[in-house]
Amino acid sequence: MIVLENLTKHYGELEAVSDLSLRVGPGEIYALLGPNGAGKTTALRCLATLLRPTSGTASVGGADVRQDPLRVRSRIGFLAASMGLYERLSARELVTYFGRLQGLDEERLRKRVDELAELFGLDDFRGRYCGRLSTGQRQRVALARAIVHDPSALILDEPTLGLDVVSGETIYRFMAEERSRGKAILFSTHQMAEVELLADRVGVLSRGRLVAEDTVDGLVRRTGARNLARAFLSLVEEGGQSPVGRDFGEDLAGSVSDGTE
Amino acid sequence: MKTQRRNGWRDARVVFKKELRETLRDTRTLLIMVVVPVLLYPAILIASEQLALFGQRQLERAPAPVAVVGDVDPDFLDFLAEQEDLLLVEAVDPEEAVRSDSVSAVALFLYDAGMVETQTVSLIYDAADDWSRRGREVLSSALEEWGDTLLERRLAERGLPIGFARPLEVEDLSVALPEELGGYALGRFLPMLLVVMTLLGSFYPAIDLAAGEKERGTLETLLTAPIHPGQVVAGKFLTVTVVGLVAAALNLGSMLLTFQTGLFQLSQAFTIEFSLPFGSVMIIFATLLPLAVLFGALFLGIAVRSQSFKEAQNALTPVYMFFILPALLPLFPGIEFTPALAVVPVAGVSLLFRELMVGGADPVLGSLALLSTLIYASAALVFAAHSFGREEVLFGEGRDAGKVGNGPGFLRGLRDSEPLHDYPGSRATLVFVGVIAVVYFYLAVRLQVGLGEKGLLLSELGLLLLPSLLFLRLGGFNPVKTLSLRRPTGRGLLAALLIIAGGMPLAWLLTWLQSFVIEMPLEFLEGMSDFLVAETPARVAWILVLVALTPAICEEVLFRGVLLAGTRRQFSPLGVILLNGLIFGAFHVPSATVFRFLPSATLGILLAWVVLRTRSIWPGMLMHFLNNGSIVILASSPWILERFSDPNQGPPIWLMVPAVASLVAGGVLLEREAS
Repeated sequence: MIVLENLTKHYGELEAVSDLSLRVGPGEIYALLGPNGAGKTTALRCLATLLRPTSGTASVGGADVRQDPLRVRSRIGFLAASMGLYERLSARELVTYFGRLQGLDEERLRKRVDELAELFGLDDFRGRYCGRLSTGQRQRVALARAIVHDPSALILDEPTLGLDVVSGETIYRFMAEERSRGKAILFSTHQMAEVELLADRVGVLSRGRLVAEDTVDGLVRRTGARNLARAFLSLVEEGGQSPVGRDFGEDLAGSVSDGTE
Repeated sequence: MKTQRRNGWRDARVVFKKELRETLRDTRTLLIMVVVPVLLYPAILIASEQLALFGQRQLERAPAPVAVVGDVDPDFLDFLAEQEDLLLVEAVDPEEAVRSDSVSAVALFLYDAGMVETQTVSLIYDAADDWSRRGREVLSSALEEWGDTLLERRLAERGLPIGFARPLEVEDLSVALPEELGGYALGRFLPMLLVVMTLLGSFYPAIDLAAGEKERGTLETLLTAPIHPGQVVAGKFLTVTVVGLVAAALNLGSMLLTFQTGLFQLSQAFTIEFSLPFGSVMIIFATLLPLAVLFGALFLGIAVRSQSFKEAQNALTPVYMFFILPALLPLFPGIEFTPALAVVPVAGVSLLFRELMVGGADPVLGSLALLSTLIYASAALVFAAHSFGREEVLFGEGRDAGKVGNGPGFLRGLRDSEPLHDYPGSRATLVFVGVIAVVYFYLAVRLQVGLGEKGLLLSELGLLLLPSLLFLRLGGFNPVKTLSLRRPTGRGLLAALLIIAGGMPLAWLLTWLQSFVIEMPLEFLEGMSDFLVAETPARVAWILVLVALTPAICEEVLFRGVLLAGTRRQFSPLGVILLNGLIFGAFHVPSATVFRFLPSATLGILLAWVVLRTRSIWPGMLMHFLNNGSIVILASSPWILERFSDPNQGPPIWLMVPAVASLVAGGVLLEREAS
C-alpha cells in the first residue's frame, strides 16, 4: 500500500508539490498525469526517499519515508525516466549488483537473476555492456533491476519514455502482470493511451496540486470532455497551469483525441 | 523476498567491488593507471635517452672541421694535425665561415706572446648550433692541452718543476655511495612524479564515480537501494583511493625497474645506482596512503557537487594544479625538511619522500608530515561524506538560476514553471567579478598615478560601478532585488551603526597585530595622510566625496550588490560572507601593499553580514561611508597617525571593551532582525 498524506516539497521559494494526498492499494495501478513542471517527478522522488518532503508524509507498506527510508527502499522498485544503467556492466552483472545491495543472499540471488533473465530475455544480449544496448533492451534491464528483490510496490517515472510500440507493449504487459500479483503500482506519464489501457485510477497534478482524482471514465464524465486528453487539458487549465497557448491547446486536444499526436 | 542481515561494511564492500570493476573497464583510467607508468613512461625515458646518445654519436662520428687564424705557433698547427677528433681547414673570414657552416669553430690568435706573456685566443662559434658547439669543445680542449705543453716548456727553460705553477691540485672525493647518489637524484624528481601520479590516478575515477554517475542518472537509481549514503561514499572513496595508490605504485615500481635493469644507461656512465632499500619503499607506500586518501576524499567531495563530468573537470583542475606546486619543492636546492614545511599539505610528504630516498629522514619530522596528512585526509573525508549526504548537492539546487546554466540537470523539468530569474547565477557572477578584477588591477593604479584624484574617481565609477550596472542590464536581472535596494528598518540601521562602531577599533587591532608579521608600509601611510589632510572645509567635502561617498556607492554596488546576490543561493550564509570579504580584501591589495588585505577583508565581512541579514544595501553603504569618512577625519590627527605608524603602540586597550560590546550588541540586533 502506497500512501501520501499532505505531502509538500519546496525548493527554496518554489513550491514543487503542494499538500498532495493519495493512496494506491495492492493490485492497483495509479497513473499520475500532469504537464511538465507539475511536480510528478518530485512527488515520486519523495516517495522513493530521494528527496526529503518539506512537510507531510509518505509511506510504503507502513514504512515512513522520513522515519525508515531504508525499509521503504527495500519495499519499492523504482524506475527513473533516465533508466539509470551502468554503462560498463552487463545486464546480469547490473541486476546482481542491485540484488546484493537489496541484501539478497547469494544462492537466492543467483536463482532470481536466472528467473529475471528468462522473463526479460536478458541473455539475448549476453556479453554486451549496458552502454551498448538499444533503448528497448535497456528498459528491459532497468525493469529487471527494479524488481530484483520482488518489491510490494512499484514506482515508475515515465516508464515508456522514448520506447517504440513493441517495447512499450512489453512494459504494459509487465505492469498488468505485476498488478495481478498484488503489487501497488504508481506511475507517471504523458501518454493518455497507456493511462486508458492500464490505470485503475488517475490523479491529475497541476502546479504541484492534485486537481482531480478518479477513474478514467469518472474524469471524462466529470469534465464533460470527449476523451481523457480533453479532460486532462481542461483540468490542468482549471488548476491554473497551461503548458501551451489556449488555441494551440485546443488543437492539441483535438489531435490527441483523433490519435494524430 | 528473504534478505540477509544488513551490515554497513558489506554494502560498502559491494559498492567498492562494483566500482573497481567498472573503473578497470574504463579505458581512460586504465590508460593513466597502467599504460602510462608501465609502458609509456619507461618507453619515453629510454627512447629519449637513446635519441640523445644517438645524436651525440652522430656528432662525434666525423672529426669537427676547425680553423686557426692569426699569429700561430707552427708547432701548435702540427699538434692540431695529430688530433683525431678535429680536421684543420682554412678560413679567410672566420665569422662568415662559421655562419656558412664551412667550419664548425675558429681559434683566433691575436699576437705571438713569446715565452713569457699570456696570449689571448678567441673562439668563434655558433652557440645556437650543436655541430658548431662540438667544434668549439674539441678546439677548446686541444687549446687547453697545448697551453699545458707551453707551460711545461716555459718552466723547463727556467729549470722549475711543474708544481711551481700549480701550487694546488684540487680533487673531489665524495663519500656518497653509488646508491646514495641514486637516491639523491631520485629524491629530486620522484616525489613530484609520485604525487602527480597519485593525483592523476584519483582524478578521473573521482569525477566518473561522482559527477559522471549523476550525469548518467545512475546515482538516482543507486540511492533507491536500501543502503546508507555513507556506505556509498565509503565504497566510492575506497575505489578512488585504491586506483590512485595503484597508479603511484606502478609508476614507482616501473621506474625503479627501468633504472635497475640497466635499460637506462646514463646511470652506468655516472656510477649511480638507482635503487632503494626495501624498508624505504615500504615507508614510501605507507606515506602515499594518507596522501591518496586525501586526494581521493577531496576530489570525490568536490566532484559530487558538480552536475556533469565537464563541470567536475573544471572544478578539479585548479585543485590539481594547487597540489602540484608543493610537490615541486624537493626539486629546488636548499629547501630543508623543517617542522613548518612538514605540516604543509603535500609539501611535507614530498620532502619526506626525498629524505627517505637520500637515505633517512628525521623520525619526528616524518611523523609530523604523516600525522598532518592524516588529519587533512580525515577532514577531506568528512567533507566528502557531508557533500554526499546533501540533497541539493546530489540533485542540484532547485531554485538556482537556470539562466546562466548552473541549475540542476536532475530537476530540469522544474525550470519550465519557474518565473524569470531575478538574480545572476553564481558562475556568471564570479566570472564577471574575475574579469573586473583583472581590468581593475591593470588599470586602476595607472589611472590613479596618471590622473591623480580624477583617476581615483574614474576608476571607481568606470571600473566598478558602470560594469556592474551594465552586467545587470545586459543580463536582464532585477536591479532592485539583485542590489537589495530595499528600505532598511530602524533596527537594521542601528545594528549596522553598532557593528561598524565596534568593528573599526577591532580592525585597527588586527592591523596592529598584523604589523608584527608584515612590515607596515610607512611611505604609503604618509602619502595617504598627506593626501587626506585638508585645510579648507571645501577640500574636506571633496575628499569625503572622493574617498568615502564614491566607494560607498560604487564598491557596495559591486560587492554587496552583484557579488552577494550572485553567490547567496550557491553557498551557505557563512560561505557567502567569507567569500565576499576575501574578494573585497583582494581588490584592495594592488592599490597599496598586501598590508591592506586584512583590514579590508574584515570590513568586507562585516558589510556582507549586515547586507545579507538586513536584505538592504543601504546600511552597507552607510557603514562603508562612515568607515572611510572617519579615516579621513582621523588622518588629520597627528596623534592617531603616529600611534598607527608605530608598531610598538597598538590601539588603546580600553577601547576594545566598548568595541567588542558594540559589535556583540549590533550582531544580536542584526540576527534578530534577520529572524
